[in-house]
Amino acid sequence: MSRGASIKVRGLCKTYGSGARAVHALGPIDFDVAAGEFVSLIGPSGCGKSTTMLLVAGLEPITAGRVEIDGRPLTEPLSDVGIVFQDHLLLEFRTALGNVMLQQQIRRLDRDEQRARAAELFSRLGLAGAEDRYPWQLSGGMRQRVSIARALVHDPSMLLMDEPFGALDAITRTQIRHDLELLWLDTRKTVLFITHSIDEAIGLSDRVLVMSPGPGRIVEEIPIDLPRPRPAHLGDHPEFARYARRIYDIFENLGIYRFHRDRP
Amino acid sequence: MASAIAGRSGRAAVTALQAALAVAVLLGTWEILVRVYEIPIWLVPKPSDFLARLYTDAALIAYHAAATSWTILLGFLLGVLVAVPLALAIVSFGALERGLYPLIVFLNIMPKTVVGPIFVVWFGIGPLVSVFLVFLMCFFPVMVDSMSGFRAVDRRLFYITRSMGATRWQEFRHLRLPAAMGPIYAGMKIGIVKAIEGVIIAEFIASQAGLGYLIMRASGFMDLTLMFAALVATALVALLFNAVLTGGERLLLPWARHLQR
Ligand SMILES: Nc1ncnc2c1ncn2[C@@H]1O[C@H](COP(=O)(O)OP(=O)(O)OP(=O)(O)O)[C@@H](O)[C@H]1O
Ligand SMILES: [Mg+2]
Repeated sequence: MSRGASIKVRGLCKTYGSGARAVHALGPIDFDVAAGEFVSLIGPSGCGKSTTMLLVAGLEPITAGRVEIDGRPLTEPLSDVGIVFQDHLLLEFRTALGNVMLQQQIRRLDRDEQRARAAELFSRLGLAGAEDRYPWQLSGGMRQRVSIARALVHDPSMLLMDEPFGALDAITRTQIRHDLELLWLDTRKTVLFITHSIDEAIGLSDRVLVMSPGPGRIVEEIPIDLPRPRPAHLGDHPEFARYARRIYDIFENLGIYRFHRDRP
Repeated sequence: MASAIAGRSGRAAVTALQAALAVAVLLGTWEILVRVYEIPIWLVPKPSDFLARLYTDAALIAYHAAATSWTILLGFLLGVLVAVPLALAIVSFGALERGLYPLIVFLNIMPKTVVGPIFVVWFGIGPLVSVFLVFLMCFFPVMVDSMSGFRAVDRRLFYITRSMGATRWQEFRHLRLPAAMGPIYAGMKIGIVKAIEGVIIAEFIASQAGLGYLIMRASGFMDLTLMFAALVATALVALLFNAVLTGGERLLLPWARHLQR
């Protein structure tokens, strides 16, 4: 089993486009993720969360600064990684299993071993029996589970997730969050998890990085010291309420939330 | 699953039965009206007349139907074989797109049948004119749909495959090509309808074989029953091509069953 990789980000900036059209989207930002750590990025829309993830994955050119994975500077797309986006992005012409086996085909991995791993992931993610169904025959939650299986089947040391549960209903989201936590507890891969949901960030992370927009910055780093596995209904936990409150306060101080008392 | 398939073919059988019934009612009404009002055969033939011709002149009609089918097949295959790679090239190279696409849009808007007489000048009376017209007719819908198909892949999917270390060939083979299959096939289904329209017109003006030619010749002899018989044969040829394409879709695009009826 592959153990987690560490991430080190220093002075990272991203500007999209050039000249008059240039958009300074991100940075400079600095952060570290230890091997096997679960870290969330939370912040308002447009603050550069997805950009950060793409830079860490080596999928977009860096404007300034550097990213190191396990101490080595990143110069090409990171390969030892699994990526999940908000949309499942499954191939409609492949079955659930076929979508997961895309990893094996493109990476030219051992077929039988990957099949066995896929079978195990399917059963762990509650997908047993759905192997031969096409994406349109699956519910939204199942599609996202398949997409998580695709990101994990080759046993990468790092998992990058960009609002993976953003398109799901609240009930499915709670369940899939719990399943992900258990999976992570067993494998201890490094996870960089992007979310808009304060519940999700606190419910899953070892550490939450709070970002602010224009250009994207990391404004606060909050270690979450709660026992695992964390309960579905975190609201009962007094510590949870304190963490949530802290994140709300940061957003409010940044002017991201404007509540009634601000009314003239 | 098995019962679902049985259900599907059962539904298909019911649909076919309903269609056959509708045709029978139409022909029956036609037959009765022509008999009751004693309309002369040279004005409006009875179904019994022209359906009988389909039998008595079977060899003649089959010969011309075969010629028409060949022309459709050749022109259509040529159209697909040129349109799909060209669509891929245009989508892949920006320069090609800027240079070629306006021209293609212009040619697409122009009614293709008007070039028939020009082809006659260039190629003379013969099967070549028909093949070229069929080619032109089905080329554009196939190309336009192929282009949108090759573009259909979400950019973020390429992020995922690049993290897998995919080569450009693997991206094409595993993402672009299969993703384009559905749209290409949809274009082909429109293309075949256009092809059949094109072949008959081409055979009207520049041919010595085919159902279009047979209809024109029968028209010269005022042989209305043969004209109607050839019309029925044309419809049967069209149905055949449609059925082959629809059947092929089940085989080639098994994932798209929810899009098929
Ligand atoms: N390809 C691009 N070209 C130009 N600008 C871009 C591009 N991608 C992102 N941006 C800009 O960069 C900024 C950060 O975008 P990013 O997608 O990283 O934000 P985000 O935090 O992920 O937002 P959301 O929560 O809405 O997904 C935004 O202002 C966005 O408009
Ligand atoms: Mg985003």
